Amino acid sequence: MEWDYDLDDETFDAPAHGLFIVNEGSFQYGNATLSFYDPQNNNVENEIFLRANGMKLGDVAQSMTVYGDKGWIVVNNSHVIFAIDTKTFKEVGRIENLTSPRYIHFVSDEKAYVSQLWDNRIFIIDPRRYEVTGYIDVPDMTMETGSTEQMVQVGRYVYCNCWSYQNRIIKIDTETDRIVDQLTVGIQPTSLVVDRDNRLWTITDGGYDGSPYGYEAPALYRIDLETFTVDRQFRFKMGETPSELNISGDGTRLYWLNEDVWQMDVDAARLPVKPLIKSRSTKYYGLTVAPVSSEVYVGDAIDYQQQGIIYRYTSGGDLIDSFYVGVTPGAYCWK
Amino acid sequence: MIMNVNLKPILSITCALAVALSSFAAERDLKEVVVWGRRPMKEIGVQKTTFDSLALKENIALSMADILTFNSSVFVKSYGRATLSTVAFRGTSPSHTQVTWNGMRINNPMLGMTDFSTIPSFFIDRASLLHGTSSVNETGGGLGGLVKLSTAPDVVRGFQAQYVQGIGSFSTFDEFLRLGYGNDHWQFSTRAVYSSSPNDYKYVNHDKKVNIYDDDKNIIGQYHPTERNRSGAFKDFHVMQEVYYNTNCGDRFGLSAWYIDSNRELPMLTTDYGDERDFENRQREHTFRGVMSWDHSRESWKTTVRGGYIHTHMAYDYRREVAEDLWADMTRSRSRVNTFFGQAEGEYAPTRKWYFNAGVSAHQHFVRSEDKNVIQQNGDKAIVGYDKGRIELSGSVSAKWQPVDHIGLSAVLREEMFGDRWAPLIPAFFVDGLLSRRGNVMVKASVSKNHKFPTLNDMYFQPGGNPDLKSEQGWTYDAGLSFDTAGKNPLPFTLSGEVTWFDSRIDDWIIWLPTPKGFFSPRNVKTVHAYGIEARLNLAVKPAEDWLVDINGSYSWTPSINDGEKMSPADQSVGKQLPYVPKRSASLTGRLTWKSWSFLYKWVYYSERYTMSSNDYTLSGHLPEYYMSNISLEKLLSLKPLDLQLKLAVNNLFNEDYLSVLSRPMPGINFEFFIGLTPKF
Repeated sequence: MEWDYDLDDETFDAPAHGLFIVNEGSFQYGNATLSFYDPQNNNVENEIFLRANGMKLGDVAQSMTVYGDKGWIVVNNSHVIFAIDTKTFKEVGRIENLTSPRYIHFVSDEKAYVSQLWDNRIFIIDPRRYEVTGYIDVPDMTMETGSTEQMVQVGRYVYCNCWSYQNRIIKIDTETDRIVDQLTVGIQPTSLVVDRDNRLWTITDGGYDGSPYGYEAPALYRIDLETFTVDRQFRFKMGETPSELNISGDGTRLYWLNEDVWQMDVDAARLPVKPLIKSRSTKYYGLTVAPVSSEVYVGDAIDYQQQGIIYRYTSGGDLIDSFYVGVTPGAYCWK
Repeated sequence: MIMNVNLKPILSITCALAVALSSFAAERDLKEVVVWGRRPMKEIGVQKTTFDSLALKENIALSMADILTFNSSVFVKSYGRATLSTVAFRGTSPSHTQVTWNGMRINNPMLGMTDFSTIPSFFIDRASLLHGTSSVNETGGGLGGLVKLSTAPDVVRGFQAQYVQGIGSFSTFDEFLRLGYGNDHWQFSTRAVYSSSPNDYKYVNHDKKVNIYDDDKNIIGQYHPTERNRSGAFKDFHVMQEVYYNTNCGDRFGLSAWYIDSNRELPMLTTDYGDERDFENRQREHTFRGVMSWDHSRESWKTTVRGGYIHTHMAYDYRREVAEDLWADMTRSRSRVNTFFGQAEGEYAPTRKWYFNAGVSAHQHFVRSEDKNVIQQNGDKAIVGYDKGRIELSGSVSAKWQPVDHIGLSAVLREEMFGDRWAPLIPAFFVDGLLSRRGNVMVKASVSKNHKFPTLNDMYFQPGGNPDLKSEQGWTYDAGLSFDTAGKNPLPFTLSGEVTWFDSRIDDWIIWLPTPKGFFSPRNVKTVHAYGIEARLNLAVKPAEDWLVDINGSYSWTPSINDGEKMSPADQSVGKQLPYVPKRSASLTGRLTWKSWSFLYKWVYYSERYTMSSNDYTLSGHLPEYYMSNISLEKLLSLKPLDLQLKLAVNNLFNEDYLSVLSRPMPGINFEFFIGLTPKF
């Protein structure tokens, strides 16, 4: 068998601003990849991790976070987080032997949290040494039902949604690394954002028909962080599948996927009746909004076994560009 | 009364070849290597590959996955010994291949497929493939075909015993014991095999690099590590008891009972950065299969009645050590399958020209699947899973007609039901004709429409099961030419071959796709056009006294094309080859026998397999073509108290660095030595 590996590592010099696209790949194939898109020149580079480092990214890449000049790619089923230089895409370090990592959130230069699936602990990381330094135990959760997901920080508190067979938002005190409060929302909150008024938003998927955990209409929740209570709830129809809650760079408009791409003002009184971007037999899978231009990028995973495509729209919903990336583009990260 | 084409000249030569070498090993039936051209009316127009006993009994370390790999045109997807091994028969999916054992279907009713790595070839006495349409003679749902496996009474008088011990690379041990007793009426046989290995072979991990750091944790170097296969250990135990009673007046009774206790780790991917000491990924299986049969034969008719039972308990555990000696479950899934089986068949041949057959079978499945333990919102514990029963009925009638000796016609009508749904009628038509007696050149053709029910997981798995799925269905056309000949000049030989063209379109192909809720769900989405050519050739030559050369080759070209609608405007998969189905494959086995020595060379080739439905070439998803060669050398010593069999097998002879499945490296060159003892009572 002729190998294509061990090719010379490529040298990249990425522009200062751009979009990383995390392509999950297929479960158990080990074919996750990383792409980089330069919106200035409408140029995409695929498989940049492999091309820059001469090794694969791994199995099921879940998310990426840029902190300083490093990009941290969480590769769920490889039990690893790679740190890369965001200019050259070269690896600068890695955190190994995680359980089933989902997202990484930086509390400071010295501390980061890693949420997990199938683990009732959030891992505390020293990003300078790439080492696990401790754990935050999540109450009322076993390893098997463990699920902590996206994290956002307001002041000294980090908020995290608990998703798989869960219905909670937990509140972590970053000074003590302890959970100090939790709030019950609907079944399976999928994603989490903070708006310009420091209000927390989450969107639930409602579970599924036949689930022993329950099945209900999904909903969008607005949470007052002063009182840590739900101050507004927007209910979807039973059977709908909202996900991928995003917010514009100025924190004024919410975006999500529910077959189509939807947009709503954070002060709106009701859910919108018309989508921003209609599905065209597409299987929208991932969504992001450019922090400055508010352009909308939405991925179509097609059959989840081929290169997915990213559509780039203006903030008004007009198509600007489209480009193929890797298998199952699921997450984005702005640089 | 079975009608055969008259092939006396060929048979006399082949029998002579067999007799000349019959002293080599009592348990070997060399006749099967060289007897060709028998054409029972039952097999009019049928495309069939039969595995001879030499292939099945080559060594105790082989599973049926290995037999299919090296002796047929079927693609076996596997990532090493004692790992899930599924087949793509004529470019179809694993669940499109039906598998029967002593007439009872043994496909897992939850998944639809069969793991051929759990079937030791030493437990199978007769094995054949019925390609495409030909499977309709035996069962429905074989859109790719049928793998037909069975046990058979060993013709022994008195006591017989055989023990084989294998010792191989990676601390692999294989043990096999067979005890038998027979007289004019009774045959008893007990077989047991136990295989174990840490299976920790070394390989260069091309997918990963190890970092070298300075004191400040800066990377100062990287290299591809040489690793051992992690979490690949297995312990498999099989025991089989058979009892046969023959009245010698046309009635035969049989009982076969087979128990499996399998304990296997699931190997880690090459891209896994977990510490294997901190994770356990293990699958355990207990399976019992039993079949009772009664054959009642008379001059012109025969009836067969069978009853059977299968129990399977599967346990999958994925655990992590969270503190010293404290392991926590991450996934703990259990499944139990109980299947009751009944079958009745009748054959009637009123004249030389007519043959009728009718049969009904029933498989009643009871499945309990517990996939995940959850804590409900009120704090109570609950299980995610399903508990379902399903009856599957199949009935067929067929008529075969040979108006003249050299032409045969056959029609089969089959009706099937699953749960409370009836499939449309499955018709199949076959024709064959003897073009030339010289060389026994035959032409065969067949056509059928077949249906395959969704599996129980397809319909009920939680979450994602889709009870509204339709059956997968399609038309299949076959046409082929075969010949077999034999001669004495310049050397005694037999030569046979077959080439078959097939074409099938499968609609409503079921695939599992992710949903926005984070789980997968099956849908009827694809239309697949699978077509191609299968060819086989066999040559057996006796170059001199005590010498035998036997060569078998197969080649297949199997485009398997996504012929459906675009799933999305940007879909690039239409008109492309299905992932993990090689377009071309070939195999060759060559055996050289001299007196009590035997040398075997096995070779297989697979073209590139795509891992993406768009057939894109990417660095992260590329499986290049590969060639594989295995050899073995065997010597039989006939001593006074016993026969002693010594064998050395070398696998991956040229130490090929290859993958069959993405991120699953295969072992390099490895060895196993076998010693077999057959006492003389």
